[in-house]
Amino acid sequence: MPPLMPFLVSVALMLVIGLGCLMIKRDMVRLLIGVEILFNAANLFFIALSTQTSGYIDPFAHSVVMMAIVLDGTVIAVGLAMVLNVYRHYKTIDIRKLRRLKW
Amino acid sequence: MVAQDFISQGFQIPLPLMVLLLGGIVTPILGLIAERVKIPRLREVWIIVVTTGAFCSVYFLYQQLRTVSGNVIVMLFWGQSPPFGGCFEIDMLSIFMAGSISFLGFLVAIYSVSYMEKESRLTEFYTLVTFMMAGMTGIVMAGDFFTLFIFWELMSLSSYVLVAFLKRRWGPIEAGFKYLLMSATASAFLLLSMSLIYGMTGTLNFAFLAISLREVALSPWIFMLFSSLIIGFGVKSAIVPLHTWLPDAHPEAPSPISALLSGIVIETGLYGLTRVLYLAFDPGFFQIPIAVLAVLTMTLANVTALLQQDLKRLLAYSSIAQIGYMLIGLASGTAYGVMGLFLHIFNHSLMKGMAFLSAGSIVHKTNTRDISSLRGIGRMMPVTSISLFIALLGLGGVPATNGFISKFILFNSAIGTGMAWLAIAGVLNSALSMAYYLRILITFISRAQGDENIEAREVHPLMVGVTLVMAILIIVFGLWPAPIISFANKASRTLFEGMVTYVNAVLS
Repeated sequence: MPPLMPFLVSVALMLVIGLGCLMIKRDMVRLLIGVEILFNAANLFFIALSTQTSGYIDPFAHSVVMMAIVLDGTVIAVGLAMVLNVYRHYKTIDIRKLRRLKW
Repeated sequence: MVAQDFISQGFQIPLPLMVLLLGGIVTPILGLIAERVKIPRLREVWIIVVTTGAFCSVYFLYQQLRTVSGNVIVMLFWGQSPPFGGCFEIDMLSIFMAGSISFLGFLVAIYSVSYMEKESRLTEFYTLVTFMMAGMTGIVMAGDFFTLFIFWELMSLSSYVLVAFLKRRWGPIEAGFKYLLMSATASAFLLLSMSLIYGMTGTLNFAFLAISLREVALSPWIFMLFSSLIIGFGVKSAIVPLHTWLPDAHPEAPSPISALLSGIVIETGLYGLTRVLYLAFDPGFFQIPIAVLAVLTMTLANVTALLQQDLKRLLAYSSIAQIGYMLIGLASGTAYGVMGLFLHIFNHSLMKGMAFLSAGSIVHKTNTRDISSLRGIGRMMPVTSISLFIALLGLGGVPATNGFISKFILFNSAIGTGMAWLAIAGVLNSALSMAYYLRILITFISRAQGDENIEAREVHPLMVGVTLVMAILIIVFGLWPAPIISFANKASRTLFEGMVTYVNAVLS
């Protein structure tokens, strides 16, 4: 049974990095990367926890993670398509310029 | 179990879900044929057939469910036993929600045939609508967290694209990106809460969670799980600190989509929250936080709605306020309160669905959403406006509409559980909300002053017909609520007394 602590620390770090990325960055593509980091933190946590059963590694978590990777890939693809359309309308991908909708 | 058994048990899938998924896959093919061979209205007929089929198959499933002992049907994937495989579990609550979804979907499909007539890319539009309905139906029938997550993402993906569907304008694109960013972050937190649950119990199946998660001792992990569940489901259902995408996304989407999003998609998020919270925790654990969120949601949304000039944006804020009322039922922790919650979900899907459809008709004819420039529209489009007024009165909770019945039950349940302050907050908010509903009403029926120069006629009979049918249903369920109350009662009891049969059905 591998130790859980290194994984826990890295999951916590990835959560902090992902959320920080969402708060600080201006570039819309980087925001999507921040979302991807959050997804991967959850995926890594799944895999880390699946090693904690004694004697074997639970394959259930692996199937969940495979599916989750596909799902967040599609979400990011739709997001990138939207970034393209944003560029067409605003001629920029700076999120702070998207302020036409208020309240 | 030998391999032969796995194959012979096959891949079972609930009938409504099969109809919708098949419909979604066939729509692009039919759309291609319709464009090549020039058969007009082929897609439109097909989407109405699919949604009708979904509604009928929900009814068949209901008849089948009534004959099964314990009122739970479990459907396994290739005979995998539940702790390790995904499964569908269908009980009265699933049928109640699936019925609301397919009914509103059916009405919206008829409406959008006429509303979207002039738009291009209709094949994509109908495909996405069908898949969004399939996603919601899958969520309410999921028997484990993994299946729920897959259909959750199916629903979310379709709704991102549908919000940004009219991409030649800047508004939908900006709103769509905002929606995608917030909602995808929420999905990540949902996945995180799934991994926490998996770490605590070793399973994602709802029935096994109901047994094992209640025995986990209170630790920081439980609070982390609770907060990531609130974030994960709360963004989709627009609970107040997480609501900021909704007032942008709902007005900018095409009106039939606004009706679907406001009418049922955000409630599907609330369904997920209710199901998981009641399965995994004791009501005493989450009552106070949810009650505080309910008061915040109602008050902030109602106060902000007072300031709005945009008709559809006002309705969007009113949706957030209604979510606040529904949270009262969740906070009450009794079967009575949860009955109010689900009754209000059904009633709200009728009322807000219709409000958005009528508003859509008005916007369609006048090309403006500004309330003050719509002065006197009630005299030009009488039927649409009268249906809109009925919906608004229902949303405000005037007696003789169905909104009154469910709000009464919700506030009553708050008093019954000893949280009178919650009921008082709800009643005050209801009174406050009448202020902006009546403002629309007065502006619409007052005589035009001559300087607005809007020209409008009644819209296509199909669109008027849909709104009129929904208006009649609102009055009918307001005056004769017995059948729908007894159905909602059965649905909510499955969350409490039906828990044992729910668990037994999987474990056996």
